[in-house]
Amino acid sequence: MKKLFLIMSILFASFAQAQVTKVNLQASGLTCSMCSNAINKSLKSLDFVEKVMSNISTSTFEITLKPGASFTFDDLKKKVEDAGFFVANMNADVNFSNIKVEKDQHINYAGMTFHFLNGKGQVLNGAKTIQVIDKGYVTSKAFKKNQSLTSMECYKTGVAGKCCAKEGLSSESRIYHVTI
Amino acid sequence: MRYIIFGLLMQLCMVAKSQELFVYTEPASNMAAKSIGFRLNNTFMKVDGTQKYNYHFLPEIMFGISKHIMVHTEAFFSTRNNGLKAEGGLLYMKYRFYSEDAVHSHFRMAVFARGALNNSDIHQPAINLNGHNSGLETGFTATKLINKVALSAGVSHLYAADNSNGNKFYYGKKDRNAMGYHVSFGKLLLPKEYTSYNQTNVNGMLEVLGQTNLQSGKSYVDLAPSVQFIILSRMRLDIGYSFPVLKDLERTTSSGVMVRFEYNIFNAF
Repeated sequence: MKKLFLIMSILFASFAQAQVTKVNLQASGLTCSMCSNAINKSLKSLDFVEKVMSNISTSTFEITLKPGASFTFDDLKKKVEDAGFFVANMNADVNFSNIKVEKDQHINYAGMTFHFLNGKGQVLNGAKTIQVIDKGYVTSKAFKKNQSLTSMECYKTGVAGKCCAKEGLSSESRIYHVTI
Repeated sequence: MRYIIFGLLMQLCMVAKSQELFVYTEPASNMAAKSIGFRLNNTFMKVDGTQKYNYHFLPEIMFGISKHIMVHTEAFFSTRNNGLKAEGGLLYMKYRFYSEDAVHSHFRMAVFARGALNNSDIHQPAINLNGHNSGLETGFTATKLINKVALSAGVSHLYAADNSNGNKFYYGKKDRNAMGYHVSFGKLLLPKEYTSYNQTNVNGMLEVLGQTNLQSGKSYVDLAPSVQFIILSRMRLDIGYSFPVLKDLERTTSSGVMVRFEYNIFNAF
């Protein structure tokens, strides 16, 4: 019975606290309000998005996610590109629960696989902000600069390659490269 | 006149913000994927040497097919011959093939094609697929934001076919081909600071529009200043005036006013 209570309380805790609560993104390539509105409307069309707060001057969008809804960063990026623009920067507010991150280690969390490029063995608890630094999520200049953070080939492709074989990831599965 | 034009160009190069939603030409950028735009284009062109004005009503529907492709369809009505008559329509497609974006700037390139069918009489050697000639246009456009100033330039090949209803292009077989070209500048005048999507944006534009017939070598070049109001970040009201600075290539109407209303629906399909 104690075990059952323990399992139930763990399950309840994981449902009660959404793992990714907010995503902040900056779009590139626009200066006008109609262009910003195109991105705003495009993001709002996603069923896992609860609210979008936009700043037209800075081309930034604060996206609140529906609790418990499954999503991927690629869904958000696609919507920005569908509107005719690109992602220049994307950060996510993530609630971690006792997650240890090591450099170049792949971690399954919030329905996605993360590769922490600057993990130092720290244990993550509570709300933290991570930045997605995959190709198409930062400027091309920043993407090249961040290459110095890892020698693993999955950083260049964004998908599992030979470098990830020992961790049992299926070939070509999506990996989000992030910094914290 | 030269000083005025130079002054306007200098003004446009010194502005703090920019727009590229040009009134007389299309930029290399596309509308959002899965969006639909409706336009009511109206031109009031003065018939040269008379006090008469020709009115052209050109309703247009635009579709954002994907982030790379957009399509326009347009119908032609005009009062050139006794009352408002339907004269045909066109199909336009643009493919954005290159984008290099940074925050608040970009460089984009696109190719486009325009095919028009028109049943009206042909009345000038200058080729205008937007309500005068049946034909085909293929072209290239590049648009860049430099220091937050929008600059767009394009070049195209125009081919005039015979119009339907037996209306021949009678200026000579080789005169059917022309080169079109344009340079466009745009500037955001208001608001000074963005606070919401409900603010009305006011843009000022200046466009240089030209055509050279590839057989006769004759050209026209127009200047087209315009003002644009963007309302609720989804509607546009454009008011422009075009006039010739070179009119070697003959047209029956060379100056006049354009008024356009546009409404956009995002995530329409």
